[in-house]
Amino acid sequence: MNDYGFFYSWLAVFFAILATVIWRFIGVVMASRIPADGPVMVWVNTMAYAMVSAVLLLILVRPIGVLATTSLDHRLIGLFAGLLVMFFSKRLIFSLFCGVCAFAIAIHII
Amino acid sequence: MSGTIHDTLNPSQVRQNAMFDALRAPCYALCVTMAGFSTIARESGFDFMMTVFTSLGVWGMPGQVAFASLYSASASLIAIFFAVSLANMRMFLMVISAADMMQLKSHNLPLWKRVFWMQFLAVTAWANLGLAQQKYPSHLLLAYYQGFSLTIFIFGILGTILGFFLSDILPPEVLRVVIFVTPIYILLLMMSAGQKANRLAVLIGGALSPFFFPFVGEWAILLAGIIGGSLASFYGHYIAKWHLENVP
Repeated sequence: MNDYGFFYSWLAVFFAILATVIWRFIGVVMASRIPADGPVMVWVNTMAYAMVSAVLLLILVRPIGVLATTSLDHRLIGLFAGLLVMFFSKRLIFSLFCGVCAFAIAIHII
Repeated sequence: MSGTIHDTLNPSQVRQNAMFDALRAPCYALCVTMAGFSTIARESGFDFMMTVFTSLGVWGMPGQVAFASLYSASASLIAIFFAVSLANMRMFLMVISAADMMQLKSHNLPLWKRVFWMQFLAVTAWANLGLAQQKYPSHLLLAYYQGFSLTIFIFGILGTILGFFLSDILPPEVLRVVIFVTPIYILLLMMSAGQKANRLAVLIGGALSPFFFPFVGEWAILLAGIIGGSLASFYGHYIAKWHLENVP
């Protein structure tokens, strides 16, 4: 447990908010300066996709909180089941349902 | 993309469609995910107002979780600032990408309004925008984004509030399955992206980050993002030459 006082706690909240708002602000300013159909925009997009995917895979491979009570195998089974169904059916919600069900079943069986 | 039946829609109809899209599934998953954050925050020593303001102001799960874990470890303000900004750095790229998809420039909004609307951007809304792009003409995507992002924002904040008090109501066996929904949902959503280069980036970035993590910690996200995105762009542009194809 921490030992911050009232003022210091709220200062911490302020810093956490500032640390995110800065990126949003820079993003808005930069967005109007990058040509829409150019290769730089393609690059920005692929980096955004890769970075979000990197965050999500870290959450799945090294989760904290209640998800950490499941094993890596369970989570990977859920992920690959979802991706496999998505690959063949191209239906998002159905694939999500299959992936989550596979995860739930894996927890109980394995 | 244009020339579809959606050309006849007006912005308020699109906003409503977006709201219903959000109500189909993602908002509930996000509600529970945020309730999960509340549980972590409460364990880390946050009071109720701090938890809610963190969700309202940061609105980016990995940064929020980084904040809560550093707070529980009594880290310095500078450490909190850098860890949260590192965890949420992708916002910068997502904002540029979303502004491009929505042709934000053409709407001629003042800077404060653009920043205001981008405050509601998080990964779910951004990834959904990629899907909506295949259905709606780009001048209607701002309206779509407004309807979608506000709906999930409201549900996310509701989840934060409920989670702080009700985290013991859902048994952990159920909670862990529900919390699994959001990461899988977004990964599947990104894999249905229109551009092949973006799908390739998802695969490379996702494959790299768990391997980088033991060596570089949280920097793995940034490294995997830059390397994965650059490799996918390079492959798409110079080897596969996807930009020369008519249909993405």
